[in-house]
Parts: sequence; structure tokens; C-alpha cells
Amino acid sequence: MSTGQAIFRDVPDPPAPKRPSLGSRLVKSRTDYLYVAPAILVMLVVIAYPIYYTIELSFFNTPASLALSEKQFNGLDNYVTILTSSIFWKVTWQTIIWTVVSTLFAFLLGLGAALALHREFAGRALLRGLLLIPWVVSAVAASYVWKWLYHSDFGAIGALMVQLGVTDQPINFLDNTTTSLYSLIVVNVWKEFSFAMIMLMAGLQTVPDTLLRAAQVDGASPWQRFWHVTWPHLSSVSTVTVLLLVVQNFNSFIIPFIMTGGGPVGSTQIWITHIYELAFLRQRWGVGAAYAVLLFIIMMTLGYFYVRALTRGDDQRAGA
Amino acid sequence: MAQVVLKDVVKNYGPVYAVNRVSLTVEDGEFVALVGPSGCGKTTTLNLVAGLISMSGGAVTIGDRDVTNLDPKDRDIAMVFQNYALYPQKSVYKNLAFPLQMRKLPKEEIDKKVRDAAKTLDITHLLERKPRELSGGQQQRVALGRALVREPRVFLMDEPLSNLDAKLRVQMRSEIKRFHQDLGATIIYVTHDQLEAVTMSDKMAVMNGGFLQQYDSPANVFANPINMFVASFVGSPAMSLVPLTAVSKGTQVVLTSPEGWEMPLSDANGRKALSATSNKVVLGGRHSTIKVHKVQVPGAVPGKVYTVEPTGDVTFAQVFVSGATVNVSVPPGFALRPDEPVFLEFDQDRMHLFDGETEMALRL
Repeated sequence: MSTGQAIFRDVPDPPAPKRPSLGSRLVKSRTDYLYVAPAILVMLVVIAYPIYYTIELSFFNTPASLALSEKQFNGLDNYVTILTSSIFWKVTWQTIIWTVVSTLFAFLLGLGAALALHREFAGRALLRGLLLIPWVVSAVAASYVWKWLYHSDFGAIGALMVQLGVTDQPINFLDNTTTSLYSLIVVNVWKEFSFAMIMLMAGLQTVPDTLLRAAQVDGASPWQRFWHVTWPHLSSVSTVTVLLLVVQNFNSFIIPFIMTGGGPVGSTQIWITHIYELAFLRQRWGVGAAYAVLLFIIMMTLGYFYVRALTRGDDQRAGA
Repeated sequence: MAQVVLKDVVKNYGPVYAVNRVSLTVEDGEFVALVGPSGCGKTTTLNLVAGLISMSGGAVTIGDRDVTNLDPKDRDIAMVFQNYALYPQKSVYKNLAFPLQMRKLPKEEIDKKVRDAAKTLDITHLLERKPRELSGGQQQRVALGRALVREPRVFLMDEPLSNLDAKLRVQMRSEIKRFHQDLGATIIYVTHDQLEAVTMSDKMAVMNGGFLQQYDSPANVFANPINMFVASFVGSPAMSLVPLTAVSKGTQVVLTSPEGWEMPLSDANGRKALSATSNKVVLGGRHSTIKVHKVQVPGAVPGKVYTVEPTGDVTFAQVFVSGATVNVSVPPGFALRPDEPVFLEFDQDRMHLFDGETEMALRL
């Protein structure tokens, strides 16, 4: 096809059009900006200002009252206080365990459920509906229910374990520094695996049936078919799901706050509950704000990867 | 390569029979096309041979082995799919190597087979690319290559050309035909395009409604369609069918229309018409066997031109005859106008007569 190439030869790229200045663009489409102005104003007030005020507070020593006009600038003192305190590292470690373990198990459980529900069988729609309940139920209500299930005297789980002969007396799941964090993780995984399930079920529907049949003819076992055909098709949606779960878990507040309030002895304290305690129970506004700024930076980093994962998927689909 | 035998193969989903008692034998090295309209059961039949769906009844033999209850991987078959079904995340090389890896062949042997297959299909320069970087025709060749590396006893092809554009389809058609000739491969090929079946296959199996209608060489199917369905399905444009009534007039048999015209039949055709279960007889004629006249001639029947489609070499026209549409062809110089009255003369030696009740061809 030597003639085919000649068609495309020696065609110079057209010069890039000069970008008009911001001012002239603003003037040119001023009505457009006018239309969105109310929304932008509202967002500036309810989103941008609180962010700004939190950042500002993080550089001040604040009185333990609401008389914040008496705050005193102290530079990076709040950040130094946080990073040098022993509780910071403990809470950070617990936050990492909470986030990683919750995400891992919620994802794996969701993947298992999605694969199981992908096949046709009687009662599939019903089971799918039932498995969605944890995600739909209010986190506050679920936390109170689980608190009772775990209760050392009246809890159903403890009673069941005694009856089955697993233990002699009910385990004190929540008032016990070794089991409390993992007990909360179980609740968290129960609460959010449906989300991973829904995401992955949607992902599974993009796996072409003929590819699986081709692999079957090629001699691939069910596991090999999953590994060579299904899993590569899920990589995009898995990345997004895991990132969303990480963000959600890093930020989760309701379950630890209601079930243990960070205790006992801070064993279930994670960043968010710790920030809440510092700011609103101990009135250390400045330190709390500095913590929040650190959290904000981490979240924005995760958010960047999330957006990148989303748009990369778009490029791939467009290129296919 | 091997012979494939289907014996009374049945697949039903409750009361719905997708494939109904299909029996046919594909000889070693034969190219057989399963052809029919969508939903006729041709793809289901292919999947039954592949073992991708379970049979409700009957048996499939490949070579001297009964494979009815074997998994697809144990049947020694390779399959080519309509949308190629290449693994998108794997390179061409890895796509070709995949079926061999699944059989746990040593690495050097895999490499040799992959490169041999790539050479046969002229895709060596594409080995490192990903499927999405290939054109449709190249992807199709890779799909053929993935089937080829396994050295299967039978190639099963499910509409492999349907995703290609018209020009490439013609080219790939001859490539697959060449592939068949060079390898002496046994191929079962599913298509809804009767032209593909006619041009490529040694034998074609025409299916409709889950039943095998006719299984013969394309030439025989074309010349002697067994019933009205096969007659109207094979050939382009389709054979025209005009429902009429057979009446004996002295020593002669004539076909009469509700409009009152009569068409005398030759002796042989007359005896065929009388062998029908009732006096309802359907006249069938291919465009090449029908002469168009602008004036009445003996034996010709009246009609009215509906549409005229010049194609350059030949002009096709549709003519209404007794409520039915008849496809005819005339030389490009022959001027026809819509709504013009014409007279059609059917060739007595090449016309087809069908039983109006059973829809079967009338034969002596």
C-alpha cells in the first residue's frame, strides 16, 4: 500500500489557534458566567470558606472556648504537636489497619458475591436484594443493632458462641482492646461489601460471553477463565471500587463513633473520630484543624488517583 | 482431521426446540456450511458440536470417538467466533500461545508452533501487537491462527466474516477457502449469508425452525431445492413463488390464477402438478429462467412492473403476478418503467413446482 501512505505525507499540522486571554473570554461569555454565578457563590460560602477557615485555624493557638477572636498565631506549632505526639502514631496505625483490612475484605466479599450472583439461578433477584440491605440500612441504626449483637451480657453472638460450645462465657467484643477494632471492622465490611458487589456485578456484565467460550474451547479451567478473561476486564472497575472504599473507610465516622466512641483506651480511635474528639470534646480547635488539613491532603491525593483511574478507563474504551 | 457425525441431535429449552433431530455427516476434510435465517438453530448446532451447551438428545462423533459427554477442551476442536474473541489484554503472540499453554506444552514447542502458524497466516509482523491495534481482517487472521496452532481435528466457525466490511469479507472469504484447501481441514461453518455458503462450502446444510431442511452440495441445493423454504432462501435474488391452481384440460394440465389467466404446463410438469396432495400448486422460478416480454406470447403470464433496479451489468425488476412478487432480470438496454404491463415466460425445463399444502417440491 505504498500509494496509501502518500495521501498522508507532507500535511503540516495547522498552527494552534491563539488562546484568547482570560479577561476577553470572561467578557465574551459574561452571560454564561452570570447564570452559574449564584451556584458558585453558594459553593464558595458553604465549601470554600470552611476549608479556608480550617486551614487558617490550623496555624493558631485557640482558647478552649468559642471566643475564637482571641486566637494567637503560632506558626506550625500545631503540626509539630501532632507529629510528635505518641497518640498520633497509634491512631494512624489503627486508621491504616481499619482502612486496609476493611477495604480488602469488603472487596473480596463483594467480588465473591458478584461472581456467585452472575450466574442464573432460582431466587437470584431475591438474594441480590437481600445482600443489598446492609448498604441501604442507615449506618446509625446498624451500629446500634450491632452494638447489641456484640453486647457482653445480652448479645446474640456471645450467647450463640456459648451455646455452640466455642467459648465458656461470652466474649467481650467491644470492651476489650485486642478485639474491639476488629469487631468494628466486621461491622464495616458487612456494611459496605454490597457496594463492591454492585460495582463488580456491573463490571462482570462487560465481560464478553464469547471470550469466555473461546477460553473454554482453548482448554481453560474455570479458575483460568477467571484469571485470564474475567479479571483483566474487571481491573478498571476494581481500581475505582478500591479507591472509593479507601476514601470511604478513611473518612468513616459513624460506626466507630456510635459503637465505641474510639474506646476502650483509644483502641478504636481512627483519624476522623480523633479529630472530632480533639475539636469538639476537648476544644482544641487549632490542633483539630491541623489534623483536618492533613486528612484533607491525603484525601485530595486519593481523589487525584480516583479521577485518573476514571478517565484512564474512558481513554481505553474510546481507543478500543 | 476427522469425520464428524451428528445423529438425531436435539436441544430443547422446555417446549421450545432450538435443534430438532438433526442428523448429518461431515466427511473428513469437507467444508460444510450451516446456513439459515436467524433463530434457525445453526449456531446452537455448532455449539452442541463444540460442547459449549449440553445436548438434550442424540449423539456427536468426531473421528471414531463419541464426544457427546466430553468437555469442549477434550473434543479436539477449535473455534473461530464472529467477533474474533481475541483476549484484549494479551498480545497476538500470547493469544496464539494461550491454547497451547492451557495444554501445558513446553515453552520451546509453543514458540515453534506459534511462529509456524503466524507464518502460515502471514501475521508474523503483528505478533507483539495488541488486538485493538489490528484491523478487522488482521484480527480475523489471528483468530484463525489461534485455531490453527492447536492442530484440531475439526474447525468450527461461527459467522467469522459477519463483522467485516463488504470488500474485506469477499477477500477473507477466499482466504478461508484457501486455508481449507491448503490444510485439508474439516470445517463446519455457520453463516446466515447464503452467498457465503454457496461460494465456500462443499456441502451446505440449510436449517429452519430447528430442523435440517436440506443437506447437499450448493449446486444441487440451488438446482433442486427440496421445499419452498430452501427455494426462497438460497439464491440472490430469491426464487419467486406464485401460488396457483392446477386444472386438467383434456390431455393438458394448466395452472390458473384467480384473475382468470392460464399457463399450460409441459407433459412432465403436468404430471408433477397432478401429484400434489390438492390442486393447489406453487410455481417457482429463478430470475435467470424467466423471459420478459412487452407483448403477449403463447404461454406467458401477465404482470405489472413494481420496481426497477439497474445494477450496471443487468437490470433487476420486481413484477406483480397474481398478487405475488416475481424477480426478473433483463439486459441493461431493456427499458422497463414502474407500472408498465409485461408478460413473463417461465422456462418449462427449469421451473419449479411445489405442493401448495405441504410446501414440498413436486418431483417425478
